[in-house]
Amino acid sequence: MPPSFPLALEVQHVYHWFGANKVLNDITLQIPHGQIVAVVGPSGCGKSTLLRAILGTHPPRKGEILAHGRLMTKPTRDVGIVYQHYSLYEFLTARENVAFGLMLDQTSLPQRLLTPWNWWPLRRGHLKQADQFLDKVGLGDASQRYPHEMSGGMRQRVAIAQALVMEPQILLLDEPFGALDEATREELQIMLLRLYEENSQAKSRGEQPPFTILIVTHELNEAIYVSNRVLGLSQYHGGGAEGATIVYDKQAPVFSAADDRDFAPFFAQKEELREAVFDPENLQHHAEYVTLWKNRLAESKQGSS
Amino acid sequence: MIRQPISPITKIVLGLASVACLIAAYAWLSHRQHQINPKDSTIPNLSQFSDGWERLTRVPAKSEAEGWSSYRECWLWEDLGATYGRLFLGLASGVILSLVVGLAMGCFTPIEAFFVPPLSFFAKIPPTAMLAVYFVIFGTDIELFVALIALGIFPTLAQAIYQAAKKDVSSHAIDKAYTLGASHAEVIWNVIFRQILPRIIENIRLQIGPAMVFLIAAEWLLTDVGFGYRLRIQSRLLNMNVVYIYLVILGVTGYLFDWLLSLARRKLSPWFGE
Repeated sequence: MPPSFPLALEVQHVYHWFGANKVLNDITLQIPHGQIVAVVGPSGCGKSTLLRAILGTHPPRKGEILAHGRLMTKPTRDVGIVYQHYSLYEFLTARENVAFGLMLDQTSLPQRLLTPWNWWPLRRGHLKQADQFLDKVGLGDASQRYPHEMSGGMRQRVAIAQALVMEPQILLLDEPFGALDEATREELQIMLLRLYEENSQAKSRGEQPPFTILIVTHELNEAIYVSNRVLGLSQYHGGGAEGATIVYDKQAPVFSAADDRDFAPFFAQKEELREAVFDPENLQHHAEYVTLWKNRLAESKQGSS
Repeated sequence: MIRQPISPITKIVLGLASVACLIAAYAWLSHRQHQINPKDSTIPNLSQFSDGWERLTRVPAKSEAEGWSSYRECWLWEDLGATYGRLFLGLASGVILSLVVGLAMGCFTPIEAFFVPPLSFFAKIPPTAMLAVYFVIFGTDIELFVALIALGIFPTLAQAIYQAAKKDVSSHAIDKAYTLGASHAEVIWNVIFRQILPRIIENIRLQIGPAMVFLIAAEWLLTDVGFGYRLRIQSRLLNMNVVYIYLVILGVTGYLFDWLLSLARRKLSPWFGE
C-alpha cells in the first residue's frame, strides 16, 4: 500500500541560531520512508541542534520541519528518539519500558484510573506485544529486568524496541552506541542492518517500509556500514560563518547482516567524507558531494512520466 | 579494615549486644541509686516500672464495669489515640499539600517562581515559634495540631519534592515520554512522580522526627491529653517510671513507622535498591 505522504521527513530551509551564534544555515533535506540515514559532522557543527529541531523540543528559528506531512513544533509520537544516555525509565522493567508507549498512546490517565476493568485486558495485550519486540531485539530472556540490572548494550536494545513498537514515522538515534564497547556496537549495528532487510522485504511485497531511521554518529565506518545514505553536516563551506549546512549527501553501500564485516570498501567514501565534511580548508562549493532527494524524486517522476 | 563487610550473624549479635549493654548499664545505675536512696524515682527499677505500667493502664473506677471498652479511658489508650491521631492527620495533610505544591513547582516555572520566595522564608521560621499564630487562628482543638505539623513540615518537604521533580528527572526522559504519546498529566503522574516516589518516601521518613518534635512541644503547652501533656505532668512529679515507659513507646512507634515507610519504598519502588 503506498504511503499517504511520500516523505517520512521533510526539512525545508531551516535556520537556527543562539543569540549571535549562527548554528544551522539553510538546511533542506528529504527522507523517504524506509531509508536508514547516517548524519556525521565535526564536533559542535549543530548535529544535536538539528536533531532537537526535528524532534520538536527546539523548533527552528526559521524554516519548517514536517514528519509525514505534519509540522513539527513539539515532540509527538510521529518522531521517536533513542539517546546515548538516559534511554530508559529506571522504574520500569524491560517489558514495561517497551509497553510504556503503547499505554500512553492508546489509553488516557482517566481511562486507566476510572475504568481499570477495561484497562487490564489491554495491558496484557501491550505486555505481550512488548515481549514480541524484545524477542526481535534478542532480549526475550531479560524482559523482567530493570535497567540497572542490564548492560549498556541491553539497555540500548530495549530503548530501540521501546521506540520501534510505536511505529514512528521516523526514529532518531542520537549517538546511540557511543558509550558501548566494540563488540556490543557491532551487535547493535547488525541489528540495524536487519531492520533495513525488513524494509527491503516490505518494499518487495509492495508495502510501505516500516523503519525510517536517522542516526547521528561520530564513527565514519559505522555511518557507512549501517546506513544506505550518509549526510555530512559541517560549518566548513563557503557560507560557514552563517552556520552549518549539509555539505555531503550520498548513498552508502548496503550490507547484509549475514555478510562479513569488511570496512575496506568504505575507504574511498571515508576519504571523500573527510575531505568534504571534516576538512576546514575545503571551502569550495559542495554541490559535487550533495544530492538532494527532492531533485532525485522530481527526476524520477519525470523519468517515469 | 575500613568498610570490611561482616556476616549477617555478626551484625545481629553486635546489635543485640548493644541493647544488652544499655540495659545492663541502666540496671547497674538504678541499683546503685537505690542503694543510696531506696525511694529514688529518678532511675526506676523493675518493680517501679511495673507500678508505672499499672498506673498507665489503670481504668478509672467508675468505668471498670464497662469491661474491655473501658480500657479506652486509661491514660495510655487516651494518649496514644490523641497523639497519633494528631500526628497522622497532620502528616497526611502536610504530605498531600507538599506533594501538590512541590510537584507543581518542579513542573511549571510560573508556579516555581510564585512559591519559592514564601517557602524559603517560612522554612527559616521554627514551626514551634509559630504556635501563637496557630493558637490565635485555630484555638486549641485538633486543628491546631494538624496545622502545626502540616505547615511545619510543608516548606521543607515541598522544597525537597520540588528539587527532586526538577533535578532527578532528566529532560530527555520527559521529551521521550511526549514522543511516546504522553499528555502533560501523564508526564507528571507516570514519569516524574514514579521517578521521584522513593525520594518522596525518604523525605517523609525524615519529616516524621520534626513532626513529632512540633507535636510534643504543642501538647506540652496547650492540651490536657497526649504524650506531651503526660510527659510534662509526670516529669514535674518526678514519676520517671511513667516518663521512661512513654519514651520507649515513642521510640518503638517511631521505629515502626520508619520501618513501614522503608517497606513501602521497597515494595513501591523495587528498582531503587537499598
